[in-house]
Amino acid sequence: MTSLRLPNEKAVGTSVLPDEARPLLDGEARFLNDIAFAGMYHVAFLRSQHAHALLRGIDVEKAKEHPGVVTVLTGRDLLGQVEPFRSTPNRFAGGESVQHWLAVEKVRFVGEAICAIVAEDRATAEDALELIEVDYEPLPAVTDAREGEKDGSPLVHETCANNYLIRRRLERGDVDGAFAGAHLAVKRRFRIGRKQALPLEGRGCVAAFREGGFALSIWMSHQLPYVARHYLAKHLGLSETEVRVIAPQTGGGFGQKASLYPEEFTCAHLSRVLRRPIKWVEDRLENMVASTHARDQDIEVEVAFDKDGTILALRSEVWVDVGAYSTYLWSAGMEPLQTAGLMPGPYKVPALQYDTRGVATNKTPVGPYRAVGRPSASASLELLLDEAARKLGLDPVELRRRNLITQGDMPYRNANNLVHENVGYMPCLDLALSKAGYAELRAEQAGGGAKGKLRGIGVACFAELTGLGTSTAVGPGTLLKPGRDAVTLRLETSGVLTIGAALPSQGQRIITAMRQVAADELGVSIEDIACQTNDTGMAPYGFGTFASRTAVFGSGAVIQAATELRKRLLALAAFLLDEPEEKLTIVDSVIHSTDGAKSLSLRDLAEHSFFQAKDIPQELNQGFEVTAFYDPKFGSFAAGAHVVVVDVDPETGAVEIIRYVAAEDVGRMINPAVVEGQIIGGIAQGVGEALFEELVYDEQGQPRTVSLADYLVPSALEVPAIELHHANTPSAALGGFKGCGEGSIIGALSGIACAVADALAQRDGDIHEFPATPERVLRGLGVDLGAG
Amino acid sequence: MAREREIDVTVNGRKHSKRVSVRVSLADFLREELHLTGTHLGCEHGVCGACTVFVDGRSARSCLMLAVQADGAEVTTIEGLRSEDGEWSPMQKAFFENFALQCGYCTPGFLTSAIELLRENPDPSDEEIREHLSGNICRCTGYQAIVEAVQAAAAAARGEAGAS
Repeated sequence: MTSLRLPNEKAVGTSVLPDEARPLLDGEARFLNDIAFAGMYHVAFLRSQHAHALLRGIDVEKAKEHPGVVTVLTGRDLLGQVEPFRSTPNRFAGGESVQHWLAVEKVRFVGEAICAIVAEDRATAEDALELIEVDYEPLPAVTDAREGEKDGSPLVHETCANNYLIRRRLERGDVDGAFAGAHLAVKRRFRIGRKQALPLEGRGCVAAFREGGFALSIWMSHQLPYVARHYLAKHLGLSETEVRVIAPQTGGGFGQKASLYPEEFTCAHLSRVLRRPIKWVEDRLENMVASTHARDQDIEVEVAFDKDGTILALRSEVWVDVGAYSTYLWSAGMEPLQTAGLMPGPYKVPALQYDTRGVATNKTPVGPYRAVGRPSASASLELLLDEAARKLGLDPVELRRRNLITQGDMPYRNANNLVHENVGYMPCLDLALSKAGYAELRAEQAGGGAKGKLRGIGVACFAELTGLGTSTAVGPGTLLKPGRDAVTLRLETSGVLTIGAALPSQGQRIITAMRQVAADELGVSIEDIACQTNDTGMAPYGFGTFASRTAVFGSGAVIQAATELRKRLLALAAFLLDEPEEKLTIVDSVIHSTDGAKSLSLRDLAEHSFFQAKDIPQELNQGFEVTAFYDPKFGSFAAGAHVVVVDVDPETGAVEIIRYVAAEDVGRMINPAVVEGQIIGGIAQGVGEALFEELVYDEQGQPRTVSLADYLVPSALEVPAIELHHANTPSAALGGFKGCGEGSIIGALSGIACAVADALAQRDGDIHEFPATPERVLRGLGVDLGAG
Repeated sequence: MAREREIDVTVNGRKHSKRVSVRVSLADFLREELHLTGTHLGCEHGVCGACTVFVDGRSARSCLMLAVQADGAEVTTIEGLRSEDGEWSPMQKAFFENFALQCGYCTPGFLTSAIELLRENPDPSDEEIREHLSGNICRCTGYQAIVEAVQAAAAAARGEAGAS
């Protein structure tokens, strides 16, 4: 792998301590809510209490008269002033949804913003909320995707027949023929509840407007500052040169802060109208109903096998309850398209057919959340493979081995048109099984090692497409076609290096990673490198942080920019030192001749080039600031195999994770400790997804889980110690890097789901609906709990 | 009932006399009156633990306490964890060196809870650490690095070799 090595390979591959974490340990980091300006007003939103209702009237007069209230804004006040969010399924079937920033005429989910109250402080604004009188005329609510698509169901949008915000059917290969000639066909249903990304810091913004250049500055807790800037300008009727978006220190995102929402846009408008800085900070109740939800899938999957257990074809029907609006900009297609399209995962599937739907309901819109679609896609198939293995009389691992894409198969184009290369599915499986001691685990299980509990073992393999370039869409049908990001490297006049990019961090240590790559590529000491990733006023263009892309794009662009910068540095050094370029190297911020006789510090070089430029031929002094765009063209598959052991208590239905072994392929690692934090953090969210977390609505569309007392996020007690191992295969992207932010949540849901089902199978039980709450586990064992 | 009251409170060793609205939480008082924004609000209903601070030496949810309830108390926030000579406390250092934070929003509460644990139990098992920290939610790390950091801080406090 020598071709992948960087010139000064020292920092990459080591767990460099992250200087960027220091302010967080001192309480000095400035999160959105820590930003304040003189004269700043505060906003609170009045939100719909009905899932579906006509707005007969809104009386804001009493609220306006409340002491300390500046103004109250309604949806009608915005009509004609700003452009609402319109989202269509583009080239697929389904209707358009129009989302006004503040509801006009109709509300479509509990939590939808109706009015914005501006006051001198937040408490006053909240006091005044209670003085607004809204005359609702309730309408029948759609609360289930499969009911909602039926003819005669109430419609969430008149534009969406059968409530389809998106529908796509696809067939590749002879699926019917494969099923007709199959030795075995297995069909299963898999359902997963609604989820919440739940960053501990919610959304928020401070918008400040004044006449002149950069008229609107907006601090937003957001993952895509440049995209936000483009659309703020478009919807407010401003020039992009008038808008600056800054993502301050951000307390987690996980995809929830990757969409565009009405609240921030409304605040930007208010700052322009009122000429005062405007602050809105989402509280937890708002976050639970007004920031995007995720998952909520109902899947029927069917696989045809030959007598050896080889997969012949896969077909699925997918219903996703996508909520009241097609999420701007990602559309309602995120979950439906990725769930169905990526279901083959790491397995060879010669023929594929699916019919997938995003059905509008009167619930909070569904948007991107860590590993969109893939956890459910993977769990559906992995559970089915376990059932098929039982029917074929094979060990579940053996069935997987017979179908995984191997190194010998690559490059391998699967029926979903994705090409697998430079990825080690089998090496991950081998490593996970040997580290877990799989044979002994099965022997213990057979020997009744669980003492009154039901022991279950789950083995899951997954593929995770990361770092998607221009040739591979993040989500087909979305308005965004990301695929190119830029980095600027600037050698300052004192010889230190600044990296600029629009790849903001929500905790992933992106700054540290980019410093590591730049240090190795240029020979600049890592202590001499700073990195700034969150400000459109300073950074070159980029799409932002999502879809496990930042390590690939940031590093690739750093490498490309550094190649040019290094050339410029050495050309000038050659002139100043009177030594041929090819005999010069840069180590620890000093340029040396290879014989060691001559040296020049980057500081002296940089100072000289700027302050004494007259001594230097102009063609050698083009400036030490280089911007490079990187497009990896295709994506890089990351992979993993997880082995999970659970004990299920047949009396209480409680599931305890006894052991958790993970083997992962994340390509070449920049900072191993950071990588491990991403993987283990993803597994922890998968524990919540598999066992605890679910947003519940009643039949009227009222949310029943609006606090952290109802929505159960795993604590340190529920997340087991993770045994993590690496089986890395470098990617074809520059530097050999892959993304690692999302894959592990896929393996966690699948592995835990398979382990629970395996435990229940000890007593001929089964489970089709997750999270595997005690109630569902007991029902899966045939315990009569009554209706519910 | 009076809508405002005078309180005397010592925060990070500094005395403050302030007139506060009786409905203001301790968290909002620290953040908005004293501008100590290191204390974070994650849920404002006492579940996530991000806002945990020391009140008279015991950990407390500053979102569930009113500022007026802290009248006469000594409060320590994350801004007060450094020693008088400006060094990080062993727990801050251990969190840094063990990658025990990602977004860092929950970190102030975890530091408080973890410091309290080691005061009560200088040599905890991993299980005891997980139990004691189970009132704090971290959405990023999966807790493993936090457990390792607490073990490292405990080892350092006991003066064990290898602890730095």
